[in-house]
Amino acid sequence: MRYTSLGDVRVVDLTSRIAGPYATKLLAEVGAEVIKIEPPWGEAGRRRGPWRDDADATSYRDRGGLFAFLNTDKFGVTLNLRHERGREILLDLLGEADLLVENFAPGTLAKFGLAPANLLERFPRLSVVSISNFGQDGPDRNTLVNDLVLFARGGWTYPVGEPSREPLSPPGSLGQYVGGLFGAIAAMQALFARSFTLGRGQHVDVSLLESVISTMIYETVAFQYTGEYRRRIGKRYTLGPFMIVTLPCADGYAGLHCVTDKQFESLCDMIGRPELVADERFRTGLDRMVNNDALLAIIEPFFLAHGRAFLYAEGRKRAIPMAPIPSVAEVLEWNQLGERKYFETINDPVLGEIRIPGAPLRLSSHRPAPTTPAPQLGEHNREVLVERLGLDPAEIARLHEVGTI
Amino acid sequence: MTMNDGGKLRVIDLSMGWAGPLVGSMLAEMGAEVIKVEDTRRYDWWRGSLSMGPPELQPHERSGVFNGVNRGKLDLTLNLAHPRGVAVLKRLVASADVLIENYSPDVMDRFGLAYPALAESNPGLVMISMPSYGAEGPERDARGYGNTVEAMAGVTGLCRYHDDDQPYTLSNALGDPIGGLNGMFAVMVALHERERTGRGQWVELAQVEAATPLMAEALIGYQLSGNLPVPPGNRHPDHAPHGLYRCAGDDNWIAVAADTEEQWRSLLAVLGLERLADDPRFSSAEARKGNEDALDEELSQVFLGLEAEEIARRLTQAGVFAGQVNSAPLVIADAQVQARGFFIPIDREVVGTHLYPGPVARFSGTPLSSDRPAPLLGEHNSQVLRDILGFSEDEIGSLEREGVIGTSPRT
Repeated sequence: MRYTSLGDVRVVDLTSRIAGPYATKLLAEVGAEVIKIEPPWGEAGRRRGPWRDDADATSYRDRGGLFAFLNTDKFGVTLNLRHERGREILLDLLGEADLLVENFAPGTLAKFGLAPANLLERFPRLSVVSISNFGQDGPDRNTLVNDLVLFARGGWTYPVGEPSREPLSPPGSLGQYVGGLFGAIAAMQALFARSFTLGRGQHVDVSLLESVISTMIYETVAFQYTGEYRRRIGKRYTLGPFMIVTLPCADGYAGLHCVTDKQFESLCDMIGRPELVADERFRTGLDRMVNNDALLAIIEPFFLAHGRAFLYAEGRKRAIPMAPIPSVAEVLEWNQLGERKYFETINDPVLGEIRIPGAPLRLSSHRPAPTTPAPQLGEHNREVLVERLGLDPAEIARLHEVGTI
Repeated sequence: MTMNDGGKLRVIDLSMGWAGPLVGSMLAEMGAEVIKVEDTRRYDWWRGSLSMGPPELQPHERSGVFNGVNRGKLDLTLNLAHPRGVAVLKRLVASADVLIENYSPDVMDRFGLAYPALAESNPGLVMISMPSYGAEGPERDARGYGNTVEAMAGVTGLCRYHDDDQPYTLSNALGDPIGGLNGMFAVMVALHERERTGRGQWVELAQVEAATPLMAEALIGYQLSGNLPVPPGNRHPDHAPHGLYRCAGDDNWIAVAADTEEQWRSLLAVLGLERLADDPRFSSAEARKGNEDALDEELSQVFLGLEAEEIARRLTQAGVFAGQVNSAPLVIADAQVQARGFFIPIDREVVGTHLYPGPVARFSGTPLSSDRPAPLLGEHNSQVLRDILGFSEDEIGSLEREGVIGTSPRT
């Protein structure tokens, strides 16, 4: 779905892979015009899966499923920035832009003669948002990183898993999305400052490592207060005056999130052991922390004897936060999201019909329009370069020949 | 200079926990005047979630998480079960730019604070509601926290070791900050639209819908292949080695991965394991992936005798993916984090001085600022009522006597 709130905002997007494209997707989703610039051979994110099972290697391999999601509602233009004419055309586009978003390694733009400070001087209305692994300075600014290492250094991994074995890294590329969100918010803040205080654009430096760490406030601040930091404690979230745990049940696993006294009373009722409320081992939060193992031993058999749907329904009746830990197939079929028409079906020109997660925000001021699929490589070269910038169609053909576009 | 020089934005923050309050604190980083409204009987439950102790120690002022995400706010207590409490809140909202709430659906209606009524006296108001699962739909009334939200988005089901079925909850209730970041983005978008149209609006942000895009790869992969994703744990579907290895000392670990032939050779050179280069079990990327258990066994033995931080640095310099598995104190001590001064010391009443994470985005022209402490319960009652709403000392005294405002929790 696509809103029009940012209909007056033009974004030049030099990003690749996940964090940067997610930032500009968020902007496109609320109406910004996003011109995605890729090298003529396509950005690296195109060659990452998931793929359609019947994918014929040659025809599909420049369009993975994640690329198709992260780049909806964008215009696609190819430009080789190693060519002088490529850089000139980029500068023409920047002359009309409010935002440049990039996630090159620090210093790359400067190597192209496009250092952010120079761009800001030349285009006073432009802001440059740089998203990088470790930030634009510091000893690790040029260090390579993957998700496994990023999450480990950011503190996400250490407290998860069994005490008897190695810690467990979170799944997927979650941290990349956190960085993308910080980038999109920074873009909005730069526009805000331009309107209300600064009167001009500025450069913003967003580090993925710091984005990841900022979500570890439980750990980084709380441990200083108590001197205690969390260690792996198996299927429980942590040892505390609560019971937050993922438990095996008859047909899978269920998440229990029992925190307050009232929720504990309700839980005792649910498992048919109302007398436990008065049990001296569990009377207060502190008691339940000290005797957490005993409490877990009482709860576990009840979960194991019942199915997810039953457990969730019984918990819901009693206002106990629970989750019938769903597979992604079940997420796609979940009633709540279905009735809210959250997933949107797009007709991707290569992948066909796919259901993609919709815009998280729901604005009440106007109705959103349907999403436009991600661009094919160079799909909008003519529209942007000829119709917008006024390049001669003959030059387009020539640039194509020499590999600039 | 702050981003919003002069604090032109006024924000009323009725939210509790993490997701909603994060929106308020990010607006405070911009220099907005953020007034957190708490009930002395039902104060923000995050004040108590990790702190217990006798009342004289003020446990509600000793929560690291509360004090982390409520920095830079003013705190006003109001009994919202009392008509005068609601009346004060309505006056505040009438002068506000932004209202943040994450009550269960319908609670704002019951207070008489539904958006249409508020917009009548303040058409520029941007109001954001952040329910767990949505203001509509069969699960609208279901209770959710960050952990349950991320589970319902499909995250928890994929958080498993490669060789075991048991799912684990993420370490950081990621559903909460993801909800908060999306909420902040939504507020900025609505403010941008207001600049163009002059009109505010109500924005709904269901936290589970904010978390679901993070699962796009798995959700789309399932549709394209018809197969449920196989959780790889610490491993990678295509590359090996890719894992966590125990190092010398007490529970110290290193994350290491070598995707390319070059990284593989560098890894062997740094570890002095050149003999493995000619081992047929590891002679190609496919062979290494196929014999991953044996490979992990070889690497585990070597790492056990090495110091994590130092070997991580040497591997990184050699171009191998490597990093220490940082516990909370090690995150703060991380050399890159230190060099960029990400954590900043803040002195707060009752608890003293600690380090808190600074703003993530670094602006060259108008830096964000998060160096003001979180407020004490009701700390700014007089300031807000007198300076912002123009109440007399007599009126403030009578509100206190009637129990509409207060500075200590009541039961």
